[in-house]
Amino acid sequence: MMTTLGQLDFVPSMWSAPFTDGHLWMGMVTSILVGATCGVLGCFVVLRRMALIGDALSHAVLPGVVIAFLVTQNTGIVGLLFGALLAGLTTAVLINLVSHNSRTKEDSAIGIVFTALFALGLVLISNLPRGTHFDLKCFVFGIPEAVGMPDLWLMAVIAAIVLITVVLFYHPMKLISFDPVVAAAMGLPVMAFHYLLMGMISATVVAGLKTTGVVLVVAMVITPASAAYQLCNRFSTMLLLGGIFGALSAALGMIGAYVVNAPSGPSMVLVATTIFALAMLGSPRHGVVFRSIRRWRHRRHIETEDVLKTIHHLDRSDQPTDVAAISSQSRVTMARAKAILRELRQHKLIEGGASTLNLTEAGQRRALEMVRSHRLWESYLADQANMPPDQVHDVAEKLEHAHELADEVDRELGHPSLDPHGEEIPRG
Amino acid sequence: MKTPQAPAITNSPVAASTAAPAISVQNVTVTYENRPALRSVTFDVQRGELIGIIGPNGAGKSTLLKAVLGLTDLDGGAVRFFGESIERCRQRVAYVPQTSAVDWDFPVTVLDVVQMGRYGRLGWFGRPGREDRQQAIESLELVGMSAYTKRHIRQLSGGQQQRVFLARALCQQADILLLDEPFAGVDAATEHAIFELIRKLTDEHRTLLVVNHDLGVLEKFDSLLMLNQRVIACGPTRDIATEENLRRTYGGRLSLLDRAELALQNQESPQ
Repeated sequence: MMTTLGQLDFVPSMWSAPFTDGHLWMGMVTSILVGATCGVLGCFVVLRRMALIGDALSHAVLPGVVIAFLVTQNTGIVGLLFGALLAGLTTAVLINLVSHNSRTKEDSAIGIVFTALFALGLVLISNLPRGTHFDLKCFVFGIPEAVGMPDLWLMAVIAAIVLITVVLFYHPMKLISFDPVVAAAMGLPVMAFHYLLMGMISATVVAGLKTTGVVLVVAMVITPASAAYQLCNRFSTMLLLGGIFGALSAALGMIGAYVVNAPSGPSMVLVATTIFALAMLGSPRHGVVFRSIRRWRHRRHIETEDVLKTIHHLDRSDQPTDVAAISSQSRVTMARAKAILRELRQHKLIEGGASTLNLTEAGQRRALEMVRSHRLWESYLADQANMPPDQVHDVAEKLEHAHELADEVDRELGHPSLDPHGEEIPRG
Repeated sequence: MKTPQAPAITNSPVAASTAAPAISVQNVTVTYENRPALRSVTFDVQRGELIGIIGPNGAGKSTLLKAVLGLTDLDGGAVRFFGESIERCRQRVAYVPQTSAVDWDFPVTVLDVVQMGRYGRLGWFGRPGREDRQQAIESLELVGMSAYTKRHIRQLSGGQQQRVFLARALCQQADILLLDEPFAGVDAATEHAIFELIRKLTDEHRTLLVVNHDLGVLEKFDSLLMLNQRVIACGPTRDIATEENLRRTYGGRLSLLDRAELALQNQESPQ
């Protein structure tokens, strides 16, 4: 069974055509392989800021594919692959030549070269000998239903090659991606790696053409890798996650397309974009979710310290240390106060029953630390920041939580013994 | 602090090079888009010497480092390390680029970056082993960063980034170190620590070439190379760190030689 680019007519009903016999799983497996491979390679593209090159390569393979078609007179997958590889490497070399031998900057050089090659491909198509038919729309948008066994095999081989290459050359590739100049200074073949990468991307793109098409395949390269980039601190983890996200986008995209009867290329891209958006929200560094968790934890921490101090004060002034008093004095709700007290009890900072709470020795130490920090900051604000003594309390109420700086404040002030209100500053 | 081990690479053919200077730069000329960046730069650096390269912005300091490392095409001249070409000495030469040259969001830890100093030796297929890891940890100790091993590099301050780059170069155990502005964006304490480390390295007969922006620390270098596209002065610091030389390096006025070259260039390709 050989359904190939050239023989396929692009008809809208194609999208909704039922997946007969092996088509569904062949398209599925091929797409997953394309997604995973693109996701891994995309990590290099994203880290080396070559997103535009990904776009360039996918478009520039067109003349290669057409020439291969002309030479071999069919759309045999191996011919196409060689055509694409040739075109991809030509693109990479031309971009280098233009940007190094003229005033043109690299991004412009990329734009000039790939549009020129794409245009050349279009001209070649319009001049194909009579009787041959090259389906451009298939090239541009992809038709996963047309994926056949040869495509699947080809993609499997490419995926294996990419995977083995990345595993074998993991370390030098990491250095070259991170610091190409130092890599070159150490004698690593930086340019060879660059072309190796370009070659692998071209091969993957052409093998993936039928699943997503040239316009959207760049998304499969950049988007899953960018999602992984948001989440990782290790290069190896990023490669792994990039591959997983790519595969996941392809699988869910295919299923989604089948279910809602949509074209699968765009569907995969939308899934990838969703994963990216989720990664953005959930990223431990910049993500909205983690940021609010951090903020919540911080607030909780401050309230805990306030409660501890409140118990200390109540205890000192012989007032009852019950939940109601603690809640009103440290300005937290009853429910919150109860939760905090439970936590303090777990950490063995307080002991005793509900109405007669006592600080343990550790709790006492922590509370005194807070008091000391508070009074030192009050002194600092009054002495060094020239604040009127009646205003320092509220500000110090915030600053006291930076108790790791208390010793430094103490030193700066020359170890004062009394705060601006005449209260004793406990020694640390 | 531990003393770094003696350079591990001793198998290089040294017979012919025992007398040769550590770095010998002969008539190096580099042009960018028909504009000269370096004009017949010639100087030698002896083993164990600490030489500072100073000059105004656009004087070609970084270009000189890249030219010395063979990373830029030369329009003329030659560079020798211990009397040999750079290709035969890659592992003996470590390069510390400006910290702004890399993406500090790159997903690697401090230890990863320092271990990269070993990659030249490991080659294409190599994987860092226990020994490489140990070397990386020792290098981090030398720059006072051993507490940061597992940190992600994005969490480092400017001075810490600089120390990590230095540790990577130390990890390479090279005989020659080329440093591009190692004091840019570092605090006084780090600057002091780096100088101390540099001194220790020269005590071990390692050769250091340091591009430097800050004129306040000139006396710390054994010798200076004053550069403004051409060598203005080169020699022991006490002899050449004169006001006259500095003015000639940083002052905007063109020498007759420069004007002659400009005139010839204009004749060749009128603008």
